[in-house]
Amino acid sequence: MITRRRSLQSIATGLGAAFGSSMFPDLSRAASLASAGGPKRVIFFMQNQGFDPATCIPAGMTSNSSLAKAILPEPIAALEPFKEKLHIINGLHGIHTSPSHSAFFGALGGYRGSDGVAPSASTIDYELSKVLPETLLPHLCIGMDSIENMKAKPTVANLSARGAGSPIFMHSNPNHLYEMLYGGISSGAIRNQHEARSGMLDRIEQMASAEGKALPAADQQRYGEFVQGFNDMNGLRERLGSVSDHLRNFAPVVDDGYTNPEFETDWHDRLLDLGVSALKSGITSVLTIGSGRGEIFGAWKGVGVEEQGHNLGHMVQKDNPIWIKIRQYNSQLLVRLMEELESVPEGSGTMMDNTLIVYTSNNADKQHTSGANWPVMLLGNCNGAFKTGCFTQLDGKRPINALYASILKTAGVDCERFNMSEQMASKYDSGSGPLKEILA
Amino acid sequence: MSRQTLALAVAALTVFVVNLPGTNSDAADSYTPGKPLHGDFASFALGFLDKHCLECHDDISSEGDLNLLDLGPVDETNAAIWKALWAQVSLQEMPPKEETQPEVIARLQFSDWIVSELERVMKDKGGFKAHLDPNKGNFIDHNLLFGPLPEGIKLEPTSSPTRIWRVTPQEHITRLNELINIEPTFDPEKPGVRTRGDVVPTNHGGELKLYFGTDRIIRWEGGTVAYATAVKSVPVVLASARKHGFENYPDFYSVNSAEATQILDKAENILRYMAYGPLAIVGMPEQITDDPKAYDKVKPPGDLRGLPTAIVYSTKVARELTPVYELMKDDSELTDERLGDAVNHLFESLTFRPPTTKESDDYVKMVKDSVAKVGKEDGVFMGLSALFLDRDALFRPELTEAGKADEYGRVMLQDWELGLAVNHALHYIKPDDSLSEAIAGGKMRTREDVEREVTRILSDDRIRKPRLLRFFRDYFDHDLAGYICKDSKALARTGAVGGNNYHRAMFDAAASTDRLIELILAEDKDVLKELLTTQQVVATKDDNTYFGRRHTKEEVVVASAAKKKEDQELAAKDDARIEELEKEIVELSAQLKGETLEAKVKKTLEGQKKKREDEKSRVEKNKPRNKSKMNVNVAETNLEGTKLYARVSRKSFGNGSMKPERTLTTAPEGQRLGLLTHPSWLVSHSDAMDNHAIHRGIWIRTRLLGGGIPDVPITVDAQLPDEPNTTLRSRMRVTREKYCWTCHEKMDPLGLPFEMYNHAGLFRTTEYDEPVDASGEIIDSGDPALDGPVENALEMIERLSESERVEQVFVRHAFRFWMGRNENLNDAPVLQAAHRAYRDNGGSMKALITSLLTSDAFLYRKVID
Repeated sequence: MITRRRSLQSIATGLGAAFGSSMFPDLSRAASLASAGGPKRVIFFMQNQGFDPATCIPAGMTSNSSLAKAILPEPIAALEPFKEKLHIINGLHGIHTSPSHSAFFGALGGYRGSDGVAPSASTIDYELSKVLPETLLPHLCIGMDSIENMKAKPTVANLSARGAGSPIFMHSNPNHLYEMLYGGISSGAIRNQHEARSGMLDRIEQMASAEGKALPAADQQRYGEFVQGFNDMNGLRERLGSVSDHLRNFAPVVDDGYTNPEFETDWHDRLLDLGVSALKSGITSVLTIGSGRGEIFGAWKGVGVEEQGHNLGHMVQKDNPIWIKIRQYNSQLLVRLMEELESVPEGSGTMMDNTLIVYTSNNADKQHTSGANWPVMLLGNCNGAFKTGCFTQLDGKRPINALYASILKTAGVDCERFNMSEQMASKYDSGSGPLKEILA
Repeated sequence: MSRQTLALAVAALTVFVVNLPGTNSDAADSYTPGKPLHGDFASFALGFLDKHCLECHDDISSEGDLNLLDLGPVDETNAAIWKALWAQVSLQEMPPKEETQPEVIARLQFSDWIVSELERVMKDKGGFKAHLDPNKGNFIDHNLLFGPLPEGIKLEPTSSPTRIWRVTPQEHITRLNELINIEPTFDPEKPGVRTRGDVVPTNHGGELKLYFGTDRIIRWEGGTVAYATAVKSVPVVLASARKHGFENYPDFYSVNSAEATQILDKAENILRYMAYGPLAIVGMPEQITDDPKAYDKVKPPGDLRGLPTAIVYSTKVARELTPVYELMKDDSELTDERLGDAVNHLFESLTFRPPTTKESDDYVKMVKDSVAKVGKEDGVFMGLSALFLDRDALFRPELTEAGKADEYGRVMLQDWELGLAVNHALHYIKPDDSLSEAIAGGKMRTREDVEREVTRILSDDRIRKPRLLRFFRDYFDHDLAGYICKDSKALARTGAVGGNNYHRAMFDAAASTDRLIELILAEDKDVLKELLTTQQVVATKDDNTYFGRRHTKEEVVVASAAKKKEDQELAAKDDARIEELEKEIVELSAQLKGETLEAKVKKTLEGQKKKREDEKSRVEKNKPRNKSKMNVNVAETNLEGTKLYARVSRKSFGNGSMKPERTLTTAPEGQRLGLLTHPSWLVSHSDAMDNHAIHRGIWIRTRLLGGGIPDVPITVDAQLPDEPNTTLRSRMRVTREKYCWTCHEKMDPLGLPFEMYNHAGLFRTTEYDEPVDASGEIIDSGDPALDGPVENALEMIERLSESERVEQVFVRHAFRFWMGRNENLNDAPVLQAAHRAYRDNGGSMKALITSLLTSDAFLYRKVID
């Protein structure tokens, strides 16, 4: 089995000199983080239509307790073997994000979000991608929806942003995503697509560049931006292409489910495969999964749920067979994530030891909510940086922003607040700084 | 260094430099705008500073806290100070009026010198472009542009720089719209309805979007949001740098990689639609049918709301069938000829000119290469999408590469460059047949050629000219209201209905104001004055509130009582009906209990009973909501008149989509005067909580009076105190501090007269239960006849609308819009001619535009290094 460190080192000696540290995770920095604890990668799993605490909190548990002797509720029963990595947090709020039908960018941003409104600042997943060890593709977002929506709109942006007015798109078509990540090592139809597209973009860049030669000096800079844009578009392709041998070890197998999905979950599974492979290969260190893509739609016919879309948000989740199935499916995806990461040695343990998974909803506890309660599950203790194996009912009135500040702290960024001014905090935060209750 | 030492130093220098060319003494003799200046700080600027600035701005007396004694040559550390100096000197703020003024030429040279130094010094540090910004266009002295020039100023024939000009977002979307939708031809019976050539209007939410196939939709599932989500639409990709004022100077924009990526994405969508129509966007082909019930038989089970499968499209073709369609239909063979046709058609649709042979061949090859890799279907769409990123599909060149320069280094635009420049001045779609033929036939080369085409186009209403409306939108900024988020309580206090209704009313108002502008343009008499003083209103039902008057406290009490009475009457009516129905139900029940009843009779009676029970339950359920619609806060007006239409977007929100119907009517007496008193303009210049008197003042000062305002100093925290329940005027007292008033004097007294309206644009006579104070003053306008106090906005607008200076400032703004740059002194003859043309033709916009488009500034280009 190729350990990640060994494979990267062997490539680094060859290529590291040529490409510098921007290509691969900074091993020296990783080493220092490993000793200090803290995540090397973070995964955000946002299930839409709300996260009813009754679907995750063990029956009868109302105050801070260990999960050791508890039985996890049916919707998350699959996480039972991973209980000691699990921390269920109840009592955060997101009132200021105006959840209603979804807080959209506000869920990961900790600010007010609304349908059709551009993000007003960056989101936590993007910010983490800037401080975690640098990767080729700092941040990858995948979106799971009904099959019609994934086909009709293969990319949407509702959850992640790199700044005010700068949304980041979720990828929903696994064929397109495979081509983007592994085009250089693909074969068959995907390879042809990849080569055709690369060829076309190269040609466009050449033509644009030729048209710029005769321009007056004043215009050359502006037009130069246009030409440089094509360079940027081709850039990721080239960088990924140059490490294709390394990627070969991690790329998933393209099967019929990619081209001929029977259910939307066929694509959901493959999107997760691609996300996992991106993490394992070191292409990315932050993965955001939008199950329901941050809106009020979504379908899970593949697990036997006939209802879809808006209706799913207009029903009680507790003890509801429909929601049991959906959250069970989520849990299975989480288990697969963790098992895959556990299979790759890293440092003195595995990749999972240096990974944090944040599972919650973009819609607090339910649709049409005020956002007064926003349950979250954390998976992973990152070498002791996080307290795990427990349930916490938070005191006071701490916003989801405080959770995000806590994660940033473990990633080495000291901040009192995340995306919240003192003025807002006076209304929406009864405390300050990270959540002591979740940090070791 | 003390002042005495400096004076000696200057004297010493002057002795040494007096005989060198380009020094102060020589330079004062003549001045040609645009000619490079000679002289460095010591030889040039020091003298000016010493003579006009240092007496008050040295270490002994630092007026305004400004000590210029140690100011040295322009560099990146003191650039901000020099920029402030430039603003003060060119705006003639400094030296103060009571001091000796520099000679006109000396002032011009000093200004120019600072700008050229800043350009030089900042060249590799981000550049200096403030003087090129439309907001600084007024820094040129109005009197020099329209009055006699002092001896020594020698103008050169003018021109504009060679450049490439990115297409505007509106232009881009309208161009793309032509590929997938057919807009109706002009209907003289309904001139206000959207027509081919008009700009794609923004949708119900104020978004600029391209809609696919919505004209063919005959059924959808769900309500407004479900519709909006299910239809296929593509948002505008190209960015706009700013909201206020002129948005489109050539040097503002490029196209970045994010935009290019999106354009490629959208391109494939558009191409597929061109080829297959709605088949490209449905989930199942059965969705395309004239009989929705046929689709019901096969549609997927469950809730389809918001999904592409929720929509039924008719079979009627509603897009032009182009060579792209021909290429992809059935299994038609991919011949070079067919491919060439598709490439050429697309190229011309996207760049507005036919491709050269090389261009055509290059793109054909690109498509063939793609097809070779991924087959016909994907390959054609992939290859053709490259055309959307052609340089000339996104930029318009004005490079005059093939032309001979005259003695001043100017080349006249010719052929396609000239034709497309004229086209862009008026249209968003490609040149019409007549213009195309002229270009192709070598008849687009002279001033007369341009005059011929422009006159033809301007006199034909069937030819749509959306760029005119765009000028007025950029000039008035009346289209911003719908984007302003209002605090719910603050909005409720105005009397206007809040929530989505408010935003919709504002977007409707922008469309209505556009239509009003069109009506005035159609008359083409005293256009500016009409716009400023018309009593006409183009209205929707909502405008009965917005053009109404806010009730006073006492009136609210009276109205509330009246509403209460009406509510009681409605409730009583409901109660009476319920009682009546109950009686009837009891009677029918009794009858039904009767002995032997025939089945048929029984059935009838049961039917009648059920009907009454249903009605009773409906009335009971509805009773709490059955209240008077009276708005107790507003004396609503009753705007009646003739029916007309405004341009609104395609159906974008189901049954909640925008409607084009309007009423042409008159404003209530004595309350309004022209566009500046319409809610669309007023709200566009307001904020979440209140009016924005400072923005309004800036508007009047810059767009009507031609005045300039220096930038807000970086040290200023420009915020009014947070004092709820006090008037804006009282909170604005803080701008009267000495340090602030020098600039705020130019703005506040011009914006406060609009306090006669609240921040939703309703007329009001009281504010916080006191009579409204709408007084203001026109100060230092540059035209002494204009200066003086005003009682309210009506008096101010009346006075301004009579002014020739205001007309001339309007002409300056038209110049900027159509030339894409600020005017300079060399443009004086063009401006004067344009103003004369406007005046001599009775205030005709057509004459103004014709004059501008046949001017040297428009026709000639010069390479600027």
